[in-house]
Formats: sequence, C-alpha cells, structure tokens
Amino acid sequence: MEYCLVATQIRKILLDVLKPHEPPIHELASKLGSLPGISEVSISLAEIDQSTESIKVSIDGTDISIDTVRKSLEELGAVIHSIDQVSVAKRAK
Amino acid sequence: MLARIKRFREYLRLSGVAGISRRYFVLNSFDGAMTMLGIILGASATGHADPKFVIGAGLGASFAMGVSGFSGAYLTERAERKGRLRRLRRAMLSDLRSTVHAKASFAASIWAALIDGTSPAIAAAMPMIPYALTLFQIAPSWLAFPVSMLSILATLFVLGAFLGKISRENVLMAGLRMLAVGLVTAVIVWAFGGFRIG
Repeated sequence: MEYCLVATQIRKILLDVLKPHEPPIHELASKLGSLPGISEVSISLAEIDQSTESIKVSIDGTDISIDTVRKSLEELGAVIHSIDQVSVAKRAK
Repeated sequence: MLARIKRFREYLRLSGVAGISRRYFVLNSFDGAMTMLGIILGASATGHADPKFVIGAGLGASFAMGVSGFSGAYLTERAERKGRLRRLRRAMLSDLRSTVHAKASFAASIWAALIDGTSPAIAAAMPMIPYALTLFQIAPSWLAFPVSMLSILATLFVLGAFLGKISRENVLMAGLRMLAVGLVTAVIVWAFGGFRIG
C-alpha cells in the first residue's frame, strides 16, 4: 500500500470528550481557544451525571495540533473519547 | 511569583475551598479569642494577673492552637480531598494525577491548614499586646486588663458581623449575638474565679 505524504493542516475537528464538572465548559473553551493554530471553539453539553459531563467540542483553526489539544484537555482532567469528525486541507507552499 | 500566586488562586477556586475556609477562619478565631478571654479573666479573678504569666500562658495556648489547627486541618482536608479525587478517578476512568484536580486538591489542603493554624493564633495574640506593653513599661499596668478585654470583645463583634455579612443578615445584630456569647462566658469565668481554692 502506498501513502501519499503531502503536508496537510487540520482545519476542523469534532471531539467527544468526558470531563468532570469543574472547570466549567466556558473555561475549557477559553483554554482551548488560546492554543496556537485555533481560531474558534464551540462546546455543547451532551450528557451529565453526578460526577461527569459528556461534551462535544468543535474546534476550527488554521493548523490544529491534536496532541496539543489532547494535552490541554488532560491537564484539565478531561478525556477524549473519540474524534468524530475532522477536516484537513493541503498545507499552502 | 505573580503567576504562581494567580495559579494558586485558580486552584483554590477550582477546589471550592472558600466556604470551608470561611468556616475555619471564624470558628478558630472564635476559639483563640475565647481561650484568651478565659486565661485573662481566670488569671485576674484568682489574683494572678501578672503580665509575664498572662503572656506566657497566652503564647503557649496560641502556639498549641496554631500547631493543632494547622496539622489537624491539613490531615482532615487531605483525607477528604483524596476521597473525592478517588471517586472522580473512578467516574472518569482516568488517573488525574497530573491534572489541575490533583493540584487543586493539594492547594485546598494547604490553604485550609494555613487558615486553621493562623486564625486562632492571631486572635489569641492580639489581647496579649496590652500586657506586653505593660511588661516593657510602655503602658501603665492598670490599662492592660480593660484594653485586653475590649480587644477580645471587639474581635468577637467583628467575627459576628462577618458572619452576618455572609448570611446577609443584619450585621449589627449578628455582631451583638457573638458579643453576647463572649460576655456570658466572661461572667461565668469571673464567677468561678471568685471561688478560690485555698
């Protein structure tokens, strides 16, 4: 199998995330929004129970780093369940 | 340094330790003030109001309350927070060790311990100042007792008013309520001191 190794940039991702009640989603969104390569973050609450919340995190940007997003979320005690959607564009030369 | 303080404040906010800190502050300041009330009144009522005695007993009590407050609060909060963190780990199916939750947990324990340790010590130290001034002959000896008592009663009033502000009640009435507790205690201690064992 051949892979075409063309440089690409992630422009949009949709994550399914599990988090504790604290910090609240607006703080999470602000933290993610301050990361390099990210221009917009949108979070919606999907489910809630006694200790945790399931949220959908939509991130738009010019060059999103999934590792950086994952580390930021983990620092806040959140865990990525799945990457539900991703949009990628060729890196401009 | 400023960044560290800001981060520490963030951890305190995340841990929700403000409420319990307020309770520890009032409760332990009250303990400190009432302990000194007992020492000063008991010493005066039994004819042992020597400044050296009052300061010695007061410092001893102040130090003991500070140490017991600090260590007791730290161990209690630590156990409570660890339990909470363990339950959260189970719910998240995640370690959480290097997250803000673990750091906030530790920060909350330290903060509660600091409040619990310093508040009784400070409340107990303030009434000793008039006696210290007497000891160093900066103030006349007859002033020590009334000024000290006034400072204790003022502390009680302020603590009561603080509680009134928190509960959005009449601040004056809340202050007077706490003051009444102090006055009743003072009367009882003075009355008992009158029964000298000779």
